Amino acid sequence: MKRTRLAAVAASAMTIALALSACGNGDTASPDTPAPETTAPEADAPETEAPEVDGVTITMWVAGADTPQELRDWLIENFAAQNPGATLVIEEQGWGDLVPQLTTALPDPNNTPDVVEIGNTQAPTFTSVGAFRPISDALFQELGGSALLPSFVEAGTHDGQIYALPYYFGSRYMFYRSDIWTEAGLSVPSTLGEFTESAAALRTGSMSGFAIGGQDWRNGISWVFAHDGDLARFEDGAWVSTLSDPNTVAGLTAWQELFTSASNLPATDRDVAYWDFINDGVDGEPPLAATIMAPGWARWSIGPLNEAGDGRENMADFPEMFDIFALPGVNGGIAPVFAGGSNVAISAQSQHPELAENLLRLIFSADYQRMLGANGLGPANENYADSMGDDKFARTMIETAFASRLTPAAPGWAAIEGALVYEELFQAIAEGGDVAAIAAEFDARLTPMLNGN
Amino acid sequence: MTAVESQVMARVESQVIRQRRKPVAPYLLVGAPIVVLLAGMGYPFIQQIITSFQGFGMAQQFGAPAEFVGFQNYLNIFADPRFISVLWRSLLFCAITSLLIVGLGLLVALLMRAVHTWVKVVIQVTLLLAWATPVIASATVFRWLFNDRTGVVNYLLVRLGFDGMAGYAWFSRPFTFFVVAVALIVWMGVPFVAMSLYAGLTQVPDEILEAAKIDGASANQILWRIIMPLVKPVMAIVLLLQLIWNLRVFAQIRLLQDGGAPVSDTNLLGNFIFELGMGRHNFGQAAAVSIIVLLLTILISAPYVRQLMKEDAA
Repeated sequence: MKRTRLAAVAASAMTIALALSACGNGDTASPDTPAPETTAPEADAPETEAPEVDGVTITMWVAGADTPQELRDWLIENFAAQNPGATLVIEEQGWGDLVPQLTTALPDPNNTPDVVEIGNTQAPTFTSVGAFRPISDALFQELGGSALLPSFVEAGTHDGQIYALPYYFGSRYMFYRSDIWTEAGLSVPSTLGEFTESAAALRTGSMSGFAIGGQDWRNGISWVFAHDGDLARFEDGAWVSTLSDPNTVAGLTAWQELFTSASNLPATDRDVAYWDFINDGVDGEPPLAATIMAPGWARWSIGPLNEAGDGRENMADFPEMFDIFALPGVNGGIAPVFAGGSNVAISAQSQHPELAENLLRLIFSADYQRMLGANGLGPANENYADSMGDDKFARTMIETAFASRLTPAAPGWAAIEGALVYEELFQAIAEGGDVAAIAAEFDARLTPMLNGN
Repeated sequence: MTAVESQVMARVESQVIRQRRKPVAPYLLVGAPIVVLLAGMGYPFIQQIITSFQGFGMAQQFGAPAEFVGFQNYLNIFADPRFISVLWRSLLFCAITSLLIVGLGLLVALLMRAVHTWVKVVIQVTLLLAWATPVIASATVFRWLFNDRTGVVNYLLVRLGFDGMAGYAWFSRPFTFFVVAVALIVWMGVPFVAMSLYAGLTQVPDEILEAAKIDGASANQILWRIIMPLVKPVMAIVLLLQLIWNLRVFAQIRLLQDGGAPVSDTNLLGNFIFELGMGRHNFGQAAAVSIIVLLLTILISAPYVRQLMKEDAA
């Protein structure tokens, strides 16, 4: 892309404006970083204003409702303050439509969003085709460098070049009805096998011991990871689906046993609103599940009804009724779960990459990172993990996040998600089929897809 | 030359003169839509054909040169057993929904003809409201109605004594999935057909019906021997439209699948194309399937169009 002199002037003005304001509040990640190389040396930038960006609007796409409104407002306000004349517009895209939307919008210079959030598992599909603007080493260091979550940086790297940075991470753990577990004489399980036994024992005709939908692979693959299994491996220059590996089959079999013995949900259910299952009904009906697995933020939807009957109390205040534990490992300890989360990147076709980079500087500022943590979203910069607090929720979240794993960083992974192949795989297993045979069948389907064929 | 002859001559002459003038308006009226059609549909259509002969994936979408692969995309499609099953499923689905919609639409139209005016107005308003409901709203309502835990349908069935229906997951089996999907499509399709056929029925002259009654024709005879032949052209057109529309059903199935369903066993052609293109990023093959669907549509509608043209000429 050609950069005009005008853009260069704007860029240097931006940088100076940012540097000034950064020094002003003395709180940014690295206020004294030298201006990045994008600043054209011959440009004689005015120090106060940047009229060249007057009326310029840059667009950021966030995925789903995960980024709270408070954080969006903060970005819009601070972007406007640091980039006089320029405006940030934040648009929300649904998770289900994100990949199709990005596929059609990113290649088009006139319609591309400038900065996009993308699921960590979807990032490789776009980094491998040059959809994102490379993040220079200088910028990477400025934004946090090695303090940024390595597994997410890796998901955003292609051929040694970084294209997408971590935005936030999430993790999932178990929410359970401590009253029901205690009444049944059960305590928090210490191994994965013990958990399956307890969940099966708790199941009744109207209550799942552990509620999980048959197609819900995002929770289900934790059982594969717990058995030290892989979904796919990169061998001899190509991706191979490894569902038939003994460890993977063992994990899938353990999950099948759990689903068939402990869950009342249909084999076709996906990631449903599990917190509806663990709460009492609005008329005091008993819960539909004794245990669920959900991302940490589900806690805000769990608790007894308040007196007015229009909301739920904070579950943290009712430990004798609701509590949490991390999914235990096969031999004790903590099982690796699937780490949810997002990456953030600049579109290669962005017409205002300097402004887009300024937005990244805001996102990776200490203030914003701490706001992420305070809202229960794991901050991309590990130095701010303490902003999540130190109650049991934060501790369990950080514990499980550090033990978590990602899906394969294969170019075709987003296509696999888009075609809902893993949903079908887990449904077939949930319906009680022969795991080894199903694994072999899906390996044959998945291997070409992983490589983008 | 008789007076009549001279009149005829005068008319012929005036026609000749009118033709010679070559007015501009008809050309403008015909030309404008052609330009719009060429720009709006011609360009994407030609692109579609080109893409269907290319290996076009994610890399090409982001600027890599596309390679010409001849008929490879088409060959791959026909070698794919999943495409063949999707094809048969779509044709069956299209036939069932179209016949149901036209059949039920005809019944509603006949009902409207038979009832008192204010009942007719109520029916018409109801039909219009059902027809005006956006697809997303309709599909969402159907998902709620048939929800396994909170759906009204299961609740009513249990109240009626079908205890086995408690928590029944309608969307988990392809057959029951399609029962709901057909109900949704029919529900959305009947209003248009009922209104069109009712409009057709109002064209049946009252004198003919009266004459038939006087001659002692039974209600059945009047329906099958007089009314049906007279509304046949309207029915043919409506059925043709239904066949075309129901062959390219996409959103309804997709929205129902979002509730959790066996996806590849419930895909229709539209969903298969979407999965190939937007899911798997195999735009070349997706384009090839679209072209196949287009040819299929032409194949299905050709006899009807020929029939309609014959009737027009007659």
